[in-house]
Amino acid sequence: MLYKVLKKGSYDLFLAKLIADFEFIGPVKKDKATHDFKKISDIRKLDVNYKRTTIAPAKKILYPSTETLLQYEINEDIEMSVDYEAGEKILFGIDACDVNGLNFLDRFFSDEMIDEPYFSKRRKLTVIGLDRMPSDTNFSLSLGKEYAKDGFDLFLTDLNNRYFVRVGSEKGNDILTKYADVSDAGEDDFKDYNKFMDTYRKSFKLKADINNLYDNYELIYNNKDFWNRVAKDCYSCGSCCLVCPTCFCFNVRDDMELNLKKGAKTREWDSCMIPEYGLVAGGHNFRPDKENRLKQRYRCKLKTFIDRFGTYSCVGCGRCIEACLAKINIAEDINAVKKEVSV
Amino acid sequence: MEKNIYIPDLAKIIRIDSVTANEKIFDIAFIDKEVQKSFNFKPGQFVELTVFGVGEAPFCVASNPRNNDKFQLCVRAVGSVSKALHNLKEGAKVGIRGPFGKGVFPYKEAEQHNVLVVAGGMGLVPLMSFLTYMMDLREQYKNVMIIYGAVNPANILYKNEISYWNSRDDISVCVTVDNPDDKWTGEIGVCTKLIPRVDFKPEDTYTIVCGPPVMYKYVVQELEKKNFKEDKIFLSLERRMECGVGKCNHCHIGEKLVCVDGPVFSLWELRNIKEAI
Repeated sequence: MLYKVLKKGSYDLFLAKLIADFEFIGPVKKDKATHDFKKISDIRKLDVNYKRTTIAPAKKILYPSTETLLQYEINEDIEMSVDYEAGEKILFGIDACDVNGLNFLDRFFSDEMIDEPYFSKRRKLTVIGLDRMPSDTNFSLSLGKEYAKDGFDLFLTDLNNRYFVRVGSEKGNDILTKYADVSDAGEDDFKDYNKFMDTYRKSFKLKADINNLYDNYELIYNNKDFWNRVAKDCYSCGSCCLVCPTCFCFNVRDDMELNLKKGAKTREWDSCMIPEYGLVAGGHNFRPDKENRLKQRYRCKLKTFIDRFGTYSCVGCGRCIEACLAKINIAEDINAVKKEVSV
Repeated sequence: MEKNIYIPDLAKIIRIDSVTANEKIFDIAFIDKEVQKSFNFKPGQFVELTVFGVGEAPFCVASNPRNNDKFQLCVRAVGSVSKALHNLKEGAKVGIRGPFGKGVFPYKEAEQHNVLVVAGGMGLVPLMSFLTYMMDLREQYKNVMIIYGAVNPANILYKNEISYWNSRDDISVCVTVDNPDDKWTGEIGVCTKLIPRVDFKPEDTYTIVCGPPVMYKYVVQELEKKNFKEDKIFLSLERRMECGVGKCNHCHIGEKLVCVDGPVFSLWELRNIKEAI
């Protein structure tokens, strides 16, 4: 890792140059309540001062909600082709827990078998992170996901009159060298960076006591009353999955054009909260009730990938808490498990 | 570049046999002979089959893994893909990905042991890959008993193979039906009823089970009554699958994925996974 400092005065020029030379994606105000990562061609549209989270999460750039896996044409023979062609892009203004979300997806989509649709885009994405104060529903500190150690090319931290820049890759260093006027970070810069990080970590309002959940989950699993309480108001709408930076489930469907010659396989995001998720041909449903689906979702987020990758798949961004119509709160439910087992 | 995990290889349906009113056996061979030659599956593995324009679904391979000039699927017309597959004619082209699944029937481990096979309904289909393999190398195994339960006599699959096994004196076969017709002279009732009759020594026996989800709990109960060992009982699980390669996540049970870690698991592996069976 290289550590650099970018003067506040040259920040705008640095971004303007990137916007001019690259497809530049950053947070944009969508409406009164929400921000979204969108392509930006005018720096004035960029708005990094968002208080809540971006909806949808940045994963949509690498893993769009609908995506063609394969095209085919049926004649005498069946000819198949793929087109995952992606251009170079810069993703700017993604915060630390969301970078950790991308890190999870990088790991997931390369585990055992490479997911080429994902990595064709990932290889061409430059990630420039930016620290920001946690939103009200962000509990990433409790999960150790509030800080991104890697997964970015550059990561900026605003120290009022300058930016502390962590350089995570050669690509990031090249961009910095070419487009920005930076100097090496010194003792004072590290001191201020530490101050910022301490203040930042003290700013988390929502906390989840995740200790022992790995074991407690096994006890609570069979507690029907508990899950009935937790899932009581769930509409099985799947909003939590749609806004999640690490949810990866998808369905694949085949579609034909009207001429019945050309067709395609398309994948689209699915949600484990939807009743059809566990339905198989013949009508048997392996996950017929919402209580079961919710506890499986929590398992996937908080336990499964401890076993598989040694980490939570939840990064604590708090989007699902914001999005849930029934006000289901994963952080509070983590605490509720502890309370149920301890008291 | 690595092979794209979502692109199937083209294959041709070379023969179709109607075995019951609702089930057909498809002999399939890859169009590219090199692909066919390198298609080495293990008993219990499955493929993802695409009917172009309709969709893709997982099917366990039903044929003997020792034959690599073609492979066989036995399919009940019950979902959109399987119904479309039933409408295809010999010569039609389909897409095949696979074989998939690290969890396979314990065809190696079971050597020099007794083998008890319990099949319910369509569950006989995945087991056929193991059974045909085992019959080829019969001398490698000790006593073999097959228990097969079907809903009614008309639903019985692989009748020719069953009568062949019956004709051999080194295999014991018990077929039972839930709803007998006038001509039925065999056993009546669910297949779990026959397990108490098995007189194999628990520590010397591998049990292999495949059937509808509802069956497993009861079969396991019967096997446990006989003190069969958890690490010598193997079950093939069904789940919804979209990708077959561990990405779509629909088949997860606990931290396992049926497509990657299964579809065959030992009872020991499933013991601590909630809702696996």
